[in-house]
Amino acid sequence: MKGSLESGSRLLLLLVVSNLLLCQGVVSTPVCPNGPGNCQVSLRDLFDRAVMVSHYIHDLSSEMFNEFDKRYAQGKGFITMALNSCHTSSLPTPEDKEQAQQTHHEVLMSLILGLLRSWNDPLYHLVTEVRGMKGAPDAILSRAIEIEEENKRLLEGMEMIFGQVIPGAKETEPYPVWSGLPSLQTKDEDARYSAFYNLLHCLRRDSSKIDTYLKLLNCRIIYNNNC
Amino acid sequence: MFENAASRVVFILLLFLNVSLLNGQSPPEKPKLVKCRSPGKETFTCWWEPGTDGGLPTNYKLTYHQEGETLIHECPDYKTGGPNSCYFSKKHTSIWKMYVITVNAINQMGISSSDPLYVDVTYIVEPEPPANLTLELKHPEDRKPYLWIKWSPPTMTDVKSGWFIIQYEIRLKPEKATDWETHFTPKQTQLKIFNLYPGQKYLVQIRSKPDHGYWSEWSPESSIQIPNDFPVKDTSMWIFVAILSAVICLIMVWAVALKGYSMVTCILPPVPGPKIKGFDVHLLEKGKSEELLRALESHDFPPTSDCEDLLMEFIEVDDCEDQQLMPRPSKEHTEQGVKPMHLDLDSDSGRGSCDSPSLLSEKCDEPQAHPSKFHTPEGPEKLENPETNLTCLQAPQSTSGEGKIPYFLANGPKSSTWPFPQPPSLYSPRYSYHNIADVCELALGMAGTTATSLDQTDQHALKASKTIETGREGKATKQRESEGCSSKPDQDTVWPRPQDKTPLISAKPLEYVEIHKVSQDGVLALFPKQNEKFGAPEASKEYSKVSRVTDSNILVLVPDPQAQNLTLLEEPAKKAPPALP
Repeated sequence: MKGSLESGSRLLLLLVVSNLLLCQGVVSTPVCPNGPGNCQVSLRDLFDRAVMVSHYIHDLSSEMFNEFDKRYAQGKGFITMALNSCHTSSLPTPEDKEQAQQTHHEVLMSLILGLLRSWNDPLYHLVTEVRGMKGAPDAILSRAIEIEEENKRLLEGMEMIFGQVIPGAKETEPYPVWSGLPSLQTKDEDARYSAFYNLLHCLRRDSSKIDTYLKLLNCRIIYNNNC
Repeated sequence: MFENAASRVVFILLLFLNVSLLNGQSPPEKPKLVKCRSPGKETFTCWWEPGTDGGLPTNYKLTYHQEGETLIHECPDYKTGGPNSCYFSKKHTSIWKMYVITVNAINQMGISSSDPLYVDVTYIVEPEPPANLTLELKHPEDRKPYLWIKWSPPTMTDVKSGWFIIQYEIRLKPEKATDWETHFTPKQTQLKIFNLYPGQKYLVQIRSKPDHGYWSEWSPESSIQIPNDFPVKDTSMWIFVAILSAVICLIMVWAVALKGYSMVTCILPPVPGPKIKGFDVHLLEKGKSEELLRALESHDFPPTSDCEDLLMEFIEVDDCEDQQLMPRPSKEHTEQGVKPMHLDLDSDSGRGSCDSPSLLSEKCDEPQAHPSKFHTPEGPEKLENPETNLTCLQAPQSTSGEGKIPYFLANGPKSSTWPFPQPPSLYSPRYSYHNIADVCELALGMAGTTATSLDQTDQHALKASKTIETGREGKATKQRESEGCSSKPDQDTVWPRPQDKTPLISAKPLEYVEIHKVSQDGVLALFPKQNEKFGAPEASKEYSKVSRVTDSNILVLVPDPQAQNLTLLEEPAKKAPPALP
């Protein structure tokens, strides 16, 4: 009895030692693919997160526009004035699937970054001006605040993706500047509401562009066109 | 001339108009654009509602221009989308660009244009229902059977490239049921359904939705029949559950059985009953009365050292009513002579009350009765066993030459005779029983000789009290005592009942006896000191002579038989009333 116990414990010890020795020989998956000093989140995770955020921003923009349209724009014909009013229309964004598929992912990504950067300023002023708007519903204001927040986050994520996909690329592309602040602050109520309408309309569109391009890039880069 | 021609033309035109109006013809009503939809974000179709045609054949023409352009285009395809529709192919479709679309109704009478519709293809996406819906029942060997639903993405949606992101929703129900069971899947094109009811026909439908857009229509119903022998539940799992619960129940029952009492006492602690400190019920059951009473005794109970001093100082003789027999559980069965027991009521009396219990404990001579009986009284049995007592009593009477009659006062349920601040009630019941026994024993003992072989502690009280009293009172006294000490004197029983004595004994102070006179023969005539209480002094009781003097200067007196007989008749009448409580 005692002897078998002793031998059993010895065997256990032997097993443990052998396991330790064997385990040293196993190659573990590297956590930091770009070297120990540059540990980053994987590209897949970055894209997943970016797609989620862009989807969320577009949902919020759509809801905000619909809310504004229902409250302030009924029967006013603001839409006619909204044609060709977006400050980002100068960016050469693809207009259909074929064009988008033919655009190189570098171009697409820089376009996305340009759009995101160009909306930083307008979103900030949008929040301030909506707060000052008489009888501003919380539905619009809260979403404006949220969109401003998420836009910054998405910009950060996109810059990281850009750095990983195209290492060493310059990130100082010029982006369109918004100059619609005076029209948001004008005294004429109709003119002001029209300016708001334009801004929200353009925001909805550009968020849709960003979302679509990102999803396209995600399937192309991560899933190899096999979503 | 010219004027006539112009007026004629106007006249004819007006006539023509009148004629046409009379006929009911008019330009067409304004058509209305209903909706535009894009199934895959690559093409889109617009539909309009025509108004009344004004009685004339009317043509509809759709025109549009794009945001930022001025060029007006006409609808490229009126056919593909069905009647009153316009289909925009890929070539003509741009995303993120506003389309301004107008429909014109044209007939002979005029043209009517609809209100313009501003369309952005991004926001009009509504896919087709998913295609190729298939249902299949699967029976894998090691798993539960299930229904496997498969489908493909709707037509005209490019999911692979990521241009079109799609979600699905499936619903199913048994044919007769009213409520649908819905399942949502974010991307995959298959679903497994478990827990189906056998013998039912199930209907299944599916629809799709883009990431931003409208839900599609439900697909046409697909049905499947579940066979009757379809195993719904995995019986092995239930068997396992049943066994496990049975095992748990058994364990709980076993635990409760083992520790049930302790658990119950923990939850509901039993009410403690009265308990005499030091009293062991088991000893009582075994019949070892001496041990029982010994256990009840405390260390300094009775105190022996103090009492000796007190005893040495003076001799005191107590009267019957004031006296209580205090049982002593010790087996001091040495005394053979008459040993009346006198116990001090007053703790200050200094009498040998502390030692007098030993008097009680002195046992009778064994020959007459079963010693074990006396030594280990079974409580009430002794009380109710007068015959034994009688025997015990009568024996010394018959055998005693001197007529010494032992009398014993059974102590009531009061132990105040002990000169210690002990709660008397503590010991009384037992002692009362013992009293009877010891009384009996003493009686027997007294029958023999006057010789005493008491131990030192007992001798003083014994000699001092008993001999005086015995001599003095004898049988009559005994009788009196029995009467006085018991409210129910039983003729057959000389042993006084102990339970009635408490009020009597506690109330009465101790009595002292005075030496009335000394006769020529050395007989001391004594009488109780408290005679004035009762009025006429009682007749003195005469004692015959001093038998001897003990070491501690105690006189041992022997009762005078002659005097006894006289007093026997007189005293019962006198003593009885005061004796009664």
